[in-house]
Amino acid sequence: MIVEELVLPVLMVFFMLAAGAYTVAVLDRVIAGALGTPQTGSVWIAPLARGAWLMTQHANATEAPDWRAWRLAPALYLSLAAIGLAVVPWSGSLVATDLVTSVVLWGSVEALATVVIFLHGWSANALFALIGGYRYVALGLSYILISMFVLIGVALPAESLQFTQVVASQEELWNVIRQPLGLPLFLIVGLGMTFWGPLNLADSADLAGGTAAEISGPPRLVWDVARAAMLVAFSGVATSAFLGGWLGPWLPGPLWVAIKMLAVLLVLLLLGRLLPRLAPERCVTLMWVILLPLSFIDLVWAGVGALL
Amino acid sequence: MTLATLLLLAAALIGIGIYGALSQQSFVMLMMGLELILNGVMLAAVAFWAFSGAGAPEGQLLTIIVMAVMAIEMTMGFALVVAVFRGKQADTTESLTGLKH
Amino acid sequence: MIESMSHGIGVDIAFLLLATLAVVTAWRVFRTDSMVRASFFLLVSFIAVGVIMILLAAEYLGVAMFFMMAVEMTVMALFMVMFMMNPAGLNPMNMVHQERISIGAGVVSFLVLSAMALLAVFPDRPVSAGLDPVRSLGNEMLGDSMLIFESAGLVLLTTMIGVVVLSSHRGRYGAATEGSLPPGLESGGDPAGKPEEDEDGEDGGHHHHHH
Repeated sequence: MIVEELVLPVLMVFFMLAAGAYTVAVLDRVIAGALGTPQTGSVWIAPLARGAWLMTQHANATEAPDWRAWRLAPALYLSLAAIGLAVVPWSGSLVATDLVTSVVLWGSVEALATVVIFLHGWSANALFALIGGYRYVALGLSYILISMFVLIGVALPAESLQFTQVVASQEELWNVIRQPLGLPLFLIVGLGMTFWGPLNLADSADLAGGTAAEISGPPRLVWDVARAAMLVAFSGVATSAFLGGWLGPWLPGPLWVAIKMLAVLLVLLLLGRLLPRLAPERCVTLMWVILLPLSFIDLVWAGVGALL
Repeated sequence: MTLATLLLLAAALIGIGIYGALSQQSFVMLMMGLELILNGVMLAAVAFWAFSGAGAPEGQLLTIIVMAVMAIEMTMGFALVVAVFRGKQADTTESLTGLKH
Repeated sequence: MIESMSHGIGVDIAFLLLATLAVVTAWRVFRTDSMVRASFFLLVSFIAVGVIMILLAAEYLGVAMFFMMAVEMTVMALFMVMFMMNPAGLNPMNMVHQERISIGAGVVSFLVLSAMALLAVFPDRPVSAGLDPVRSLGNEMLGDSMLIFESAGLVLLTTMIGVVVLSSHRGRYGAATEGSLPPGLESGGDPAGKPEEDEDGEDGGHHHHHH
């Protein structure tokens, strides 16, 4: 019993963390190569080589950082990604955490990510890192709101806050068609929450690396892995919430989940490479003035659909 | 985990919260004391709901209302802090003497 | 009570650890040098209580606690860095008044409440196994108690409007800060944080007097 309830889910989540982060690194390099950025070395080896190199580096120190918070923040972000991966159902019964409020739990992962990213920026006791943290808080609040409305939208037809029920409710029609606004909004939030590509405003180049400006060595490796794992968790949640999770013909359920997650990851990474970067203040305007009202429309749409 | 132990924990949180709310000079730290009191109150409400309320839904609703009260307390508190700071550049309770005389 | 609520030893151990965590971090809130750290200690205390709520089968409330408090404490930390002295905790901080009375009040309220917890007899009516807490909460909120729930929403909306008015730069009669001045560094002194005024200039009428 303890094996089934504790060991197996933990192993599953750890495997997903490692495999997911590696997949993101490889895919991103492949996409960059395909788009014309020259890549040195093999795309399969290069992520591992960089990881090994970071492991052997000495971690820099700033003047009087909050050591505990500074070292904990990357690990906490990684554990938030782990919680996110744990709520993704691989089939009707194969799911690490089948909490009846798993949709809300994912919402609180997004909220806690704001805390962790701010903590990461603040604890370094450095200017750019703090500005990066502040930037993320200003943006993170709008990401959370948009994502909550979109997720309430998928919970409505399921009449449940549980991801397994949400997937089961898509037996006839996937939510991506039933609520056409949901998935695009959720993907934008995903890029924002992992500050990837055009929405990388917390760790952006204009802040010399933002919250990650001062970290190097093993903490840097953990931070990078955590961001990639969070992207994987996002694609997992998007798969369950909008793309029908394990549902699909011919193949077994878990394989369908893996295929759909890979497809979402591919789209996210492509968007990350193709979309133009936004200035932070414009990004806040975009979120509050355009995307948040769109998420209201999505919710009303979902509500009317649930009533009819 | 019995009702008594849960209530003891709630009492400890409320006690620490009362100490904080009464002793802190900084507005925001004072608000933290208030939040801690409400934390204990919510825990006690859920404990009663689970052990002696027979799962009456009003018990959970009370906790939701306390959460709303916390949100209101915090936003109002911060708005007042902003207003006071703009007017007097003060962040401690001692510097507010306007209503004293 | 133990027999009626069927849970294993694991739940008891988890409860003990979480209870200790909640109390210790709550205590650290008022004993740390950095106000940002204080707000995150408070967050940890809330999260511990949230997990205890999940152990008590209040699955929605426990998880709601996580995201409510995460956002609240981030905002709190943000305000700490903006307004308060010593947010980084680089200097020792002890900003307290009437500490003895406060400790007394805290201890007395703890003792009174725990005496009530231990001595009072509460009815033993645990949650029945068949109850779906999330569904029953939802039905209550949008059923019998809809008026209460919606009033809470309305009050929140009113708060939002009031807060914007209170913290807005623009008042009805011009800038909100018009006519107000920062206090002096010593009582009755010149306003702090203002550029040095020309003392022997002809516009002596601009010299401000503090009471």
